[in-house]
Amino acid sequence: MGATNPNRTGLLAVPAGLFVALFLLAPLALMFRYSLNRFAPGEMMEQALTLENYGKFLADGYYQGVLWTTLWTSGLATLICLVLGYPVAWFMARTTAPRLKSLLVIAIVVPLLMGNAVRSAAWMVVLGEKGMLAALVGALGLGERFGLLYTAPGVVIALVSVLLPFMIITLQSVLEGVSHSLEEAAMSLGASPRAAFVQVVLPLSLPGVLAGTSLCFILAMNAYATPVLVGGPQFHMMAPTVYQQVSKAMNWPFGAALAFVLMSVTLGLSIAANLLMQRRYRRWAE
Amino acid sequence: MCEGTATRLAFAVSVWTVIGFVLLPLSVVVWLSFFANRIISFPPTGYTLAWYARAWGVADFRNGLLLSLQLGGCATLGSLLLGAPAALALVRGRFPGREALSTLLLAPMIVPGIVGGSALFMAYIEFEVATDQQLAGTLPGLLAAHVLIARPWTVRLLTASLTGLDRAVEEAAANLGASPRRVFLLVTLPMVRPGVIAAALFSFVISFIDLEKSLFLVGPGRTTLQIAIVNYLEWNLDPTIGAVATVQILIITAALVVTDHYAKLSRVF
Repeated sequence: MGATNPNRTGLLAVPAGLFVALFLLAPLALMFRYSLNRFAPGEMMEQALTLENYGKFLADGYYQGVLWTTLWTSGLATLICLVLGYPVAWFMARTTAPRLKSLLVIAIVVPLLMGNAVRSAAWMVVLGEKGMLAALVGALGLGERFGLLYTAPGVVIALVSVLLPFMIITLQSVLEGVSHSLEEAAMSLGASPRAAFVQVVLPLSLPGVLAGTSLCFILAMNAYATPVLVGGPQFHMMAPTVYQQVSKAMNWPFGAALAFVLMSVTLGLSIAANLLMQRRYRRWAE
Repeated sequence: MCEGTATRLAFAVSVWTVIGFVLLPLSVVVWLSFFANRIISFPPTGYTLAWYARAWGVADFRNGLLLSLQLGGCATLGSLLLGAPAALALVRGRFPGREALSTLLLAPMIVPGIVGGSALFMAYIEFEVATDQQLAGTLPGLLAAHVLIARPWTVRLLTASLTGLDRAVEEAAANLGASPRRVFLLVTLPMVRPGVIAAALFSFVISFIDLEKSLFLVGPGRTTLQIAIVNYLEWNLDPTIGAVATVQILIITAALVVTDHYAKLSRVF
């Protein structure tokens, strides 16, 4: 490879690029076109060029409610993850013993990749009416049949457990880059540990905070297994609703429109947060 | 001083509590897999290993596991075949539009699983209508979806490993008369081998645990393990699921421990 022209090296990416175009971009374009079609029961859909599927979403209170539930559940879960995750990430970044550090990373990454189906099963066992939490509450004499399964708080708890490892690992890699000597310098100049943290470490870690919250929010908005299994049949979030429309109701035009609403709201909010934060950050830096 | 110690203690306790919370679901399912009674109660009345045999006896779990392993292996291979040249192009190439190409190659990570899955499902059906070739519910159709989601991670891990490579060694080999092909096979490849192993194992895990993309594409008698678990949970909750989960966690942990040995896991995300 040493002698080849670096301009021609780019050709090596062509197969992978074509693959993405064929199996992601073209299907997305097709689905967008379908979202402008009209639903016709019995024959799937008829060709049209209409915005009525998007209009149906805006006019129907039920689907607005689903989006609203998805938004606040995701926002709350993300916020809790930030509060719980930051100290852990800081602790991991400041751990110097290589063995302990490796062990901590594994302890965070294995739950991250254990699979959402299995994780939801665990929360069903913990939160159910005869579950672990209920047994604990009962043993402490605080009440009987304390179940959070099929409730909104239960979904938030389960979502936090999905997202927290992502938050911790993202924050940790950024905090890793904030040199410990900066804190020490601040403290040797007379800053209290608290001041050194608030005025030096925290501002420098803001890009990580942004990356972590965006990632967690996107994942929460699109969660499938957790709302279905922990939320139960009465708890509706966007991703299961999209699946239901596309795969069960076979209403492709409306399902497609829902999918694009979900994707644009998620990406739109993340981009807005990014822009807002960047502006803040610039002002801070000046 | 005394106050400082108390604060430090409170901090340590809260950090370890959160780590405990992260590990809770994992510990619960492993514990559950040994419960003696089918009806789950806390604390359990006794312990048994019988659920592992029973889990293997459930056809959906057995076939699901075998299909997921097979699919994961093939998806890993496909991801490497597509991803390794792409990573090389991104690291070594100097051409206009390199940034855009990089974004395109990572796009499958950004598009939500349910959205991409719906789109692919519709495209497959459309393809079937046009050509009479079935894709949804077939192994090739499922495999393409898994390559799509695993390949970006392959590129990400390989890019990191290629970036850290000392090119002087390759140049030395070329100066000593080795052809570009020999340099690649005898110098570059051995040097990136740890990165390739890490990328392969990580891509395998990504394929193995995928739920959202596969949801639309599985067919009757062709269900991945994740879908089998979700289907089972709709009607049942017993220690069988604990046994299945424990096996899955063992597979994933093994893959990740080896990955971490070859590439810094904390840098992957």
